[in-house]
Order: sequence, then C-alpha cells, then structure tokens
Amino acid sequence: MGPSAVLGQFGIAVQYSTNYLTACDLGCLEMGQIDDPKVAFAFLRPTCVLLTREQTVGNVQQLSSKLKLVSDGTLQQLQEYVLFPLRFVLKTPGPKKESLVQAVVEEIGYVLIVTCVRSWDVLRELFSELCLCLGSLAEPGKPAPSSDELKVAVLRGLEALLHAAYRDIACQLYQPTMLPGLGTAVSLLLALTEHERSRKVQAAALKCLQVLLHQCDCPQDHVPVSWDEEHALGTTFASFLPGITLTLSRVVAGDMRQGHDVTVRAIRVWYRTVGLVMADDQLSSPEAGKSPAVELGRAGELVVRRTPAWAKDTSGKLAILLKKIISCVSAHQHWRVRLEVVSMSDHLLATSRESLGECVSPLLEALVTMVSDENSTVREKCNVALESVAQRNWDQGGRTFIDVLSENLHSLATSLPRLMRTSDDRHKLSVLNAFLGYLRILGPGVVAVLNSAAHLQRISKALMQVLELDVSDVRIVEERGSADLMGEGTHKTLPQKKKHFLYFTDENVFYSLREICRLLGYYGNIYLLVDHFVDLYRESSAYKKQAALVLNEIIMGAAGVGVEATQERVPVSQDDLRAAVILVSQEYTSLSNWHMSTVSVESDKGEQGYFSPITMLSITNRPEGDLFPHPSERKGLTVHQLNSNIWQICIQLEGIGCMALALGTDFQSILITTLYPVLEKAGDETSLISQYALSTMWDICTACAYGTLKELVNRNSDYLLNDISLNLQRLSLHPHAPRVLAVMFGHSDASLLPLVRDVVQDVLTAMDQSYNERVAVFCAVVHSLLKAFVRWFPAGPGVTEELPGTAGSKRVESNCEKLLDTRQFLLDYRRQKELAEGIMGDAEEQDAEGIEVPPSDLESDMDMDSPDQKAELPSHLAITKEVMERCVHLLSDPSLQLRLKVLDVLELCILVLHAQEDELLPLAHRCWPALLQRLTSDDPLAVLRAFRVLCTLGETCGDFLRKRVSKEVLPKITRSLMNQAPVSAKAGPIYTYTLAYKLQLSVLKGLGSLCLQMDLVDTDLESVSEACLPYLSCKQPLKLQEACISVFRHLIQVDPDAMWFTLSELHCLRSYEPPHPDLHPVLLAGTGRPRNEYTDNVLKLLEEDS
Amino acid sequence: MASDWPGGASAFSRPPPTKGHDPHDSICCFKRFRPLERLIFMKPNGITRLQFILRGSGAPVNTLHFSCREPGPPLLFSGSAKGAVHVWNLTTRRAERVLEGHEGASVIWLNTLHSRDTLISQARNMKVCTWDLSEGRCKMTGSFLTGSVGFCQCSLLERDPGRWLLAHPGTDMEEVKLVDVPSGAAVCSLKPNTKRGMLMCVKLWQPDSGQDPLLLAGYEDGCVSLWDVSQRRVLCERAAHPEPVMCLDFDPARLRGVSGSSERAVSSWTLDGQQSLQLQESVQLVNPGVSQLRIREDRKILASAGWDHRIRLFGWKRLKPLAVLQYHADMVHCIAFSDHQDPRHRVMAAGSKDERISIWSVYNDG
Repeated sequence: MGPSAVLGQFGIAVQYSTNYLTACDLGCLEMGQIDDPKVAFAFLRPTCVLLTREQTVGNVQQLSSKLKLVSDGTLQQLQEYVLFPLRFVLKTPGPKKESLVQAVVEEIGYVLIVTCVRSWDVLRELFSELCLCLGSLAEPGKPAPSSDELKVAVLRGLEALLHAAYRDIACQLYQPTMLPGLGTAVSLLLALTEHERSRKVQAAALKCLQVLLHQCDCPQDHVPVSWDEEHALGTTFASFLPGITLTLSRVVAGDMRQGHDVTVRAIRVWYRTVGLVMADDQLSSPEAGKSPAVELGRAGELVVRRTPAWAKDTSGKLAILLKKIISCVSAHQHWRVRLEVVSMSDHLLATSRESLGECVSPLLEALVTMVSDENSTVREKCNVALESVAQRNWDQGGRTFIDVLSENLHSLATSLPRLMRTSDDRHKLSVLNAFLGYLRILGPGVVAVLNSAAHLQRISKALMQVLELDVSDVRIVEERGSADLMGEGTHKTLPQKKKHFLYFTDENVFYSLREICRLLGYYGNIYLLVDHFVDLYRESSAYKKQAALVLNEIIMGAAGVGVEATQERVPVSQDDLRAAVILVSQEYTSLSNWHMSTVSVESDKGEQGYFSPITMLSITNRPEGDLFPHPSERKGLTVHQLNSNIWQICIQLEGIGCMALALGTDFQSILITTLYPVLEKAGDETSLISQYALSTMWDICTACAYGTLKELVNRNSDYLLNDISLNLQRLSLHPHAPRVLAVMFGHSDASLLPLVRDVVQDVLTAMDQSYNERVAVFCAVVHSLLKAFVRWFPAGPGVTEELPGTAGSKRVESNCEKLLDTRQFLLDYRRQKELAEGIMGDAEEQDAEGIEVPPSDLESDMDMDSPDQKAELPSHLAITKEVMERCVHLLSDPSLQLRLKVLDVLELCILVLHAQEDELLPLAHRCWPALLQRLTSDDPLAVLRAFRVLCTLGETCGDFLRKRVSKEVLPKITRSLMNQAPVSAKAGPIYTYTLAYKLQLSVLKGLGSLCLQMDLVDTDLESVSEACLPYLSCKQPLKLQEACISVFRHLIQVDPDAMWFTLSELHCLRSYEPPHPDLHPVLLAGTGRPRNEYTDNVLKLLEEDS
Repeated sequence: MASDWPGGASAFSRPPPTKGHDPHDSICCFKRFRPLERLIFMKPNGITRLQFILRGSGAPVNTLHFSCREPGPPLLFSGSAKGAVHVWNLTTRRAERVLEGHEGASVIWLNTLHSRDTLISQARNMKVCTWDLSEGRCKMTGSFLTGSVGFCQCSLLERDPGRWLLAHPGTDMEEVKLVDVPSGAAVCSLKPNTKRGMLMCVKLWQPDSGQDPLLLAGYEDGCVSLWDVSQRRVLCERAAHPEPVMCLDFDPARLRGVSGSSERAVSSWTLDGQQSLQLQESVQLVNPGVSQLRIREDRKILASAGWDHRIRLFGWKRLKPLAVLQYHADMVHCIAFSDHQDPRHRVMAAGSKDERISIWSVYNDG
C-alpha cells in the first residue's frame, strides 16, 4: 500500500467531516472532549495528513495532544484512521530516529489503551509491527540494541494491544498458524527479560508475557476466557514452555540484586505458564493429545501434543527447575518474593497437582517452609494456601496429602544433619522452618507419623545429631564457686551461659529446634515420645545431652507452654503429663545421671574426694538399679568429658525447671523427690551448675507460686530435711547431704530452726562418731549453719558498746573529762581493785538484791514446775553451744585445713553467743588451751586465723581473758613482733606477699583493740608499746606503719600519760619548762634529738594526743 | 565395720545413739549386743526400708493410727504429748489438719469409727473424745470422762455395724470399764479381786465362736488376765512378766498373744480350749523396755517399739528376730501397720519421743 492510496482514503473522509467542523463552536473544544466522530475526524485530519507527509517527532506530538481531546468512543470509531499514519511511520523502510519511533509507539499505545481492536488483521499487523520494533534488524529474534525508553514504550504498546484486542480476535493469535510469529514475540520478550539490565524493561517484558498468556492481573476488567480458548492457549504455550520456564528460572536464580519486582514477576509468569500448560483439566481432556486438524506445514513442527507421556516427561523437567527456583528464593530477603512463592505453590497445587507429579513435594515444602515465616502476610497467605490444599485433598478423600507430607518430613529429617553441617545459618533456619512447617500442617497427624518407627527413628536421630553441644570450652570446668547463696535477686537476672552447639551459632536456629521439639510434644503422643527419648537417653552417653534437651522441650510442648500452634489437638491430660514428668525426673535424678564427676581428680580436694574410695552402691530412696560409675572410671577424665558432664547436669536441671513450668502447681507433689537434688546442685562447686540450679529453683517458684526462693525452701523444708536426715545416715552413698543443708541455711531464715534442729543434732552426732576426714564435711555444714545464725540473729545495735567488761571504755570516758577529780579517781580505783579481788561491799550487795527482787518474784511464778531448772536457751544458742564444745576438740585436729575451718566456726560461735555471757565465758575458758596452742605453736596460717579469733574473743569477753592474754599470749606476740621488725624494715616490696608480713600486719591491726578490750595494764602495755615502737619507723612497709599507729591510738586511749611519755622518749619537739623553779626540769630522752626515722609517726600521734 | 547397706537397715551398722555425746559410751553399747542381733545388723537388708520421716508434730508422738482403706489419700493420725492430733496425708507427707481438743493433755490413743471421718481419741485429761472430720470439719462431737489418770490405752471392738464396745481404764486404778459407743451407755466394770496394781493395757476381742467378747488386760504386777465381759469374771490369769506389762497384742485367729514389759523379755502365750492362758516361748531383748507390740494384719510379723530407740521385727509364728530398725534418737512410743488395700503399699509407722514419725516399708512385697 503506497502513500497515495492512503491519501485517497483520507480524501473521502475529509470531505465527509468538513461540514461539521464549521458547525461546532471551537471554543467548546477546549472545555470538553470531542464526542462527535465527524468533528473529531475534521479535527484530527490535518495532523494525520501532516504526519503522513512529514514524519517528525513534532508532528507525532501534535497528534498526541489532539488525540487527548477526543473522547474514547469517538476515537474507537476513528481508530484505524488514527493508527494509519502512526503505523505508516513504522512501516516506512529505512533507518528511523529512535525518538520518532518511540513517540509513535507511545502514541499507538495511547490509542490502544482507550480503544478496542476489533479486527484480526489490525491485531495481527500491529502485533508483528510492534514485535519488529523490538527485534534487531540484523539478527532476527534478538532484541534490538535500542534505548530502554523505546523498549519500554514498545512493550507497553504490545501490552495495550493485547488488552485492547477483542477476545475472539485475540484468540486467533494462538492458532497454530500463528505459532512462528508468537514464538518470535515470546523469545524476544524472554531475551529482554533475561539480558536487559534495566529493571523497567525487564518488568515490562514480563508483564507483556503475562498478558500474552491471558493471565494478566492488572486492575482492568478481563473477559473470562472460555474453556476452549484456554485449551488453545495451553496448547500454544506448550510449545514455548521449555523456553519460558528455562529462561525464567535462570532469571529468578540470577542476580540477587535485580530487585524483588523482577523476581516476583518472573516467578509469576513462570507459574502462570506452567499452570496454564499443565492444567489438570486440560491434560485430562481427550483433546489434549490430538494433533491439530489443519495442515500447517512447517509450523506444524512447532505444535506440541500434550500426551500423557509428554506430561510426565515435562513434569520431571519442571520439577528440577522448580527445585532450583524454590531453593533460590524461599529464603529470599524480600517478603514479596516469598509471598510469590506461596502464591506459586498455591496456584500450581490448585490447577495442576496431578499433572505436575514430582513437583508437588517441592511445592508443599515451599509452603511448609513459609508457614513459620517472619512476615505475617506471608504466613497468613501460606496458611490459607495450606488449608485449601488440605481441603482439596480431603475432598478427594485421599491420604496422599498426609503421605506426601510425612514423606517429605522423612526425607528432610534424613538430610537435616548434612544440611546443618554444611550450609550457612540462614539456610539452616529455612530448613528448620520447613521442618516446623510440616509439623504445623500435619498437626494432629503428627501422632500417626510418629507411630511409624522409621519416622520416629529418623527424626530423633536427626535431632540428636543436630543438637550436639560443643563442649570444648575449658572455662566451664574452671569456673568455681557456688552462686551467691543469699541471692534473693529476682528471677531472670541470673546471667545464664549460652549453650554452644557444634553445628550452628545462631540463637534463632536453636529457637527453631526448640520449637520443633515443642511441637512434637504438642501434637505427638507423650508416652511414645517420652519413652523413645528416654530410651535414647539411656542408650548412649553421646546422646544424653541432646535427648535431655529434646525431652525438656517435648514436655513443655505437651503442656502447651510456649507453643504457637495453629491446629487443635487432643489436650494431654494432667495425669499423663505428671506420669511423664515423674518418669523423666526420676531418670534425670538417678544416681548415675545426677552425680557425675564434674571436677578433675587432681583438683578434687572437695568433699567428693572424701568419699571416692568407697564403692557407690545403689540408692535406696529412689528406684534401685542405677550403679554409680566405677571409681576407676573417674580417673583421667578429660576436660571434654567433664565439660560434657557439667552440661548434662545443667540441661537436666533446666529440664526440671521446664517440667515444673509444664505441670504448674501440680509439680508441688513432685517436689518430694526433686527439690533435694536441685538444691544439691545449687550448692555445687561448679558455678555453671549452681547457676542453672538457681534458675531451676526460680522456675519451680514460678510454677508452684512461691514468691521467693526463701519461701520455696521454707515451705518445703520438711521434704528436704527428710532426705537430708536419711542421707546423713548413709553419707557414703549420699555425700551431698551436708551441702544441701548448707544451701538450705543459705536460703532460709530463722523460721527453719525448729524443724532443722533434730537434723543439726544428727549432724553433731555424726560428727562425734566419725573420726575420719568426713568431719571436714560436717564442719562445712556447721560453718554454714553458724553463718546463717549470724545472719538470722543479728547482733543488736552497738555490740561493742554494751560489751561486758567495759572497764576499759569507762576509763576512756573518765580520761576524756578535762578536769580530773583526784579524790573520785582514787575512790574508783580502790573500788575497782576490791572488785577485782572479789571483795564486795555490803551496801552494794544489798543494792543489787533490792533491785533484783521483783524480777525473781516474777520468775518464780513462771517456773513453778521446775524451780531449779535454768531457763532453756533459745535453740540457736543451744546449738551454737554444742558446736563450740566440739570445736574445742577439733581445734587440735591434725589436718591444717580442718583447723582453719574450725577456727572460723569458733569465731562465728563467739559472735552468736556474744550476748550470752553465762554461756560464752565457760566455753571460752574451755577453748583457751587449744586456742593458745594455735596462737603460739602452729602453722602461720593457723596463727593468723587464731589471732582473729582472739580479737573477736577480746571484743566479746573483754577482760575475762586479760590475765591469760597478758601471761600467755602477749609475750609471744611481742617477741615475734620484735624479732620480725628488723626483717621487715630491711625487706623489699616483695616482702608484702609473704606470710610473715601478713601475720605482722594482722597482729598489729588487732593488737590495739585487743589491748583496749582486755583492759591491759601497765607492764603489758609497756611490753606492747615496746614491741610496736620499731614499726613506727618510716623504714617499715607503709601498711605496717599505719597498723602500728592504730595500735598506739588504742594504747593512748587506755593510758595516755604512759604513751605520751614513751613517744616523747623517742622524739620530742618541745622542751617542757617547769612552772616553778623548785621543780626539777623535765628531761625527756627525745628532746632535742635530731630528726630520725620515727619523727613523722611520733609527731602525728603526739599531735592527736594533745 | 561394714560399710553402709542400702535401706534403712543401713543404720544398723552404726552404734546406737547415746544420751551424751561420748563416743566411748556408744561403743560399749554396741558391744552389749548379743551375737544374733549383731548378725542381723550386719545383714544387708533391702527388704526393710525407711521411706520417709514425718516431722513437725512438735512434741513426742504417743500413738498412731492408719486410715488407708477408703478412697482418697492414705491418712495417718498421730497423737502428741502436747495434746494435738495430727492428720497426716501420706501422699504429700504433710499434716493436713491438727486437732487441738485435749487441753494440752497428752493424747495416748486414737482410733476411727467406721470411717476416717469419725475419730475417737483418748487423752490424759481423763477424757475420751469423738470427732467429726467429714467434709473438712474438725469438730468435737462428744466426750466423756474416764476418770483414769494412768497410761492405759483404750481398746475398741465393733460388735454390730455402727455399734462398738470400748474398753477404757476407770477411776479406780485396777478397773476396766466398758461402754457402748456411740450411745455412751456403761456396759460393765471389771475389777480384779486380787491386788494387781495399776491397769496397764487392755485388748478387747471377739472369739470366732460367736460368744461374747473377751478382754485381755495387763497389770502392773506383770499378770495378764482374760476376762469374760458378759459374765464379768476372770477366765484365766497368768503371770507373764516379773515387771509391769507395758503392752500386749493378740491374734484371735491363732488364739495367741504377746506381751511386753519394762524388762528385756517379750513373752508370748496361747489360749487353749479351756480358755486358759499358756505361756509359750519368750524372746530376750538386748535392752529393756517395750512400749508397744503390734502384730501385722497378715499375722506374719510382730513389731516392737523399744525404749532403746529401736524397732524390732519378729516373725510372728516362732518369734524369730528378723531385723532391728534404727532411726529414732529417743524412745519409740508406738507402732502401727497400715491397713492399705494394696499389700505393696502397707507401711509401718513408728512414733517416737524424738517428735518424729518414721515410715517404713517392711517385708511388704509378698
């Protein structure tokens, strides 16, 4: 068709419309659109003609602006006329400016958007023309190297064209004869999608493809395609299926940076194509396999016959591509992509579940993975999809769905350990999410799956392998020291060490695994699971920790604690749960699983060591039959083994906490058997274990509604004491009973005392009856008991003030008075002296009687039954008294460690008894010889400790011991101080680390107050000051000087005059002039001496004194 | 010395407790054991096992009574020297309730009437009280004065369903009074003609022949008497001990009884066809004093509560010593065997002056 012919056509039309234009008011053109076709024709004609003649961008634009003024209906009538100049531009041979082509294509697009295409020819021609614009001239089938804008414009135009085409017209496009043309278009679009770098072009190309598939999802109305037409579509695209699917899967799997939009669209086109071609209803129809009726020639080779064999073959290939896509995308960062995967699964499972065959399981897997997606939209969509899948499946009445799911689960479980070893944390997480998803979907079906031994075996083995702990951390074994027993902190403040796993580091991976276990417990049969995992737990030491971890979570899950379940289940009855808890807790706390070695033999200086030689026999208070590892096994445990043991105990402790939380207040009845073992571990030397035990105790508190650990211990002290008292009698079997007692003391308060009394009595009896190393264990208990006493019965305010024997302090007071009443002083002195000699003035005696008569009356009323009996001591004092009596014997034990411990206990005893002079003094008297031995002829460590005890004794007993101290202790102390003084004066800084230094320091620190408390007198004071003087030297270590100054300060309080004199003898600044010439001048040795080593300290003291 | 054995019997290997804390004393004590008893001490014995201890009675435990037959948790009633009756739940091992109603006077005997909801208690304030415990109540429903200041425990016998005969010590020291429960009507009073001293213990029982109930009574002079209640006369008397009879128990099926005293022997005797008591063999104990003797329901085992802090178990047939159980730190006052339906759950409880109640499982696997 030449231009002249075209113009000829125009000629007729022009004539037809001129009349109209004159009739119309041009002014109204600007207001609204032209509705009248004639007017519009007249209006458009000049521009069209112009464009035909001069093919410039300007003309196109002019046309464009005019077209905007024409209403859609009118334009529809003039469609072909308007399109003609535009198509003419495209058809004009020879190279064209890109901008022109682009403008033209955009314009065509505009026209097509607002109009419909009714003629097949127009559609076909436009389609091929637009496709030509895309393709390169040089290489047909490849996209032209034109600008992105042009490509986008062409693609939009194509899209508009396809939208604009009437349905019956459009369907002609898919007739077999059109296959070559369509094929070119598809391959062009695919090429654009794959190779183009601009996202816009990619997206537009994909959009175009989608429209071509009649699978458009744009908001415009679409006339639904009839079944026949769809069938035709399917047949047509079957030819392109390999190309489309391959290319698009490459696109999806391609660059992650291409933006989610492209990926989403690519996936969409992929599954829409597959869904169309492989649709079940098409493939199952008898027409599917027929060859087209028409003879097509070469094009016929392109036609694919969708026979069952073809379908099977194709589905196999598709499955490979699908797996590739899903593996790339299911863990995609953008949620829209994941959402699209869900849509894909949903769509394909809905349309072509049967024909896709092998693809079903990856599709389900994808869905399942997304069930636990972090994005709620994805999750919801996924749940809906799964529900519909399940629904469809149930509707068809097959068990296939469950079968597929359980099969998938099985294969996933099989590959889980490998995946956990090899892939990165993100991938692991998605794998685990899939696992989780299967369980969620199976829901109550989990029971059936687990009933299959193979499944259970596989799943449990996978969990065992995946949950393997990393036990190489050496610090765990080394960290010692029980957690703070007084810890009254709130729950969760305890820092808990994280578990390190061998195969993953991400905490979220562990959470997923935990969730899996919980879901298993939630849906599974609790008896079966507990049985199975307890078997595993028993079976191998390698699986112990993992099995325990799993068991803990299963029980939590069974109780529904911390489970986000989507499906209903038959709730586990509380009785079943309790039975399971009892079984597991018994297993955990059985001797061989609870008392594992956690300290290496070399460092085994603790209580364990005392019992190791004794073969451990079966426990009797619990089910019998567990044998303690043979002693020989305990030797030479590696750090790893110890670590592993520690972790196992920790996990078991955690498990008890879990079980408590699972059972809630019902756990109360199980406390009879579990609280004791937990407390046993709370007192463990390994800090990790005691931390876990504490947190378990808190869990129990939460479960049984106790506010504090103290409440827990107090309210259940009967259970604890029951076990303690039984076990104290079988110490070789249960060496930890004292430890539990100590923990109880640490956590409890004085209200425990009445109950605990008989146990303490047992301890003391046992102490008397065991002559071996066990005494040390009991000593530890007694020590903790007395520490608790000191805490429970704190000394009243100002202990030191109201101490007995306040003679010293009295004297201090009198000295403070500026004016000395000599007469009164002498009278007091005489009285004191008489008192000391035991002569009591009559008057005073009467006074005392006078005062004491009324109370004795009262007492006699009360004590009518037993007038002679002494009032019974409060039980804590009575116990302390008994303890102190035993200390007397034990002070001379051959073991230094024990002696040190006993000295500590003794000190605590003195503190507890300080107010009971009647009890304390006789005991102090009995202690004295042994204590003296420690002070004078023992290991320096013991001397140190003993001196501290002596100071405490001095504080509490005051001058009761004065004579003994001055006679037996002071000489030795002063001598040793004197002997050591030159050594320390000469020694270097390293000396401060020696025991001798520490001894000196502590003696000097305590000596002053001791002198004050003991109310020492002249000669003793003299000897003390004499011994201390060398330490005033500035050559001495600084700490010693300070301590010495404190001694002198105390001494000055006792006897200021004597001290003034002593100090002044050393160094004196002033000379003292006698007030009257008759008196002798004061001559002090220190007067006028040059400055020496003592000057500083002496001056300091003298200044304070004056 | 042998190492610890599993089971409560492990305590056997330890020297007995002593009042003071002198280790030498305890060793001496240990040496006083006869070879046989030492043998038992040494024997590993998993059959007797100390299950648990009930603490918190706050006073010496004088008497115990089990109630395990009915549905619900097994219960144990205990009476303390401070007048409190504790109701122990053996499942939780805790006192469910404490009944205070004897004005602080020592409770010396407890029993239940037809169900655990009705308790009858005897205390040293010369009173016998009945209690309504149903539906959580702790109400005293009735009491009467016995007039006895002694230690003798009552004895209860169900004659017809809902009617019991209670034998209790009377105002007169030698006197046994019988009353009808729940009506409280006095049935009769039995007083020996000869001077027997204080009434120490009684046991009412119903012979199989369907005759009227008979009563066994132990007196301060060591004599055990068999009374015919309806005829109010002594059928037979036998001097079983040189010392006061502290306790007795009787096995109506074998017509055989056993009595303990403040001395070292436990005597057994039988009742022949002529209603005459015949002394049989006696067992010598190491340490004197038996506070209570109990024959287990299955008539296989006899248990004794010793003043020497020990519980001894004997085979009932031939009084063969089986085991010596040691846990308590003071005199054992009372012993009771559980009446649980399931023989495997039948336990033995012992109450002691040390304020504890020990629960043992003894030979209850068969």
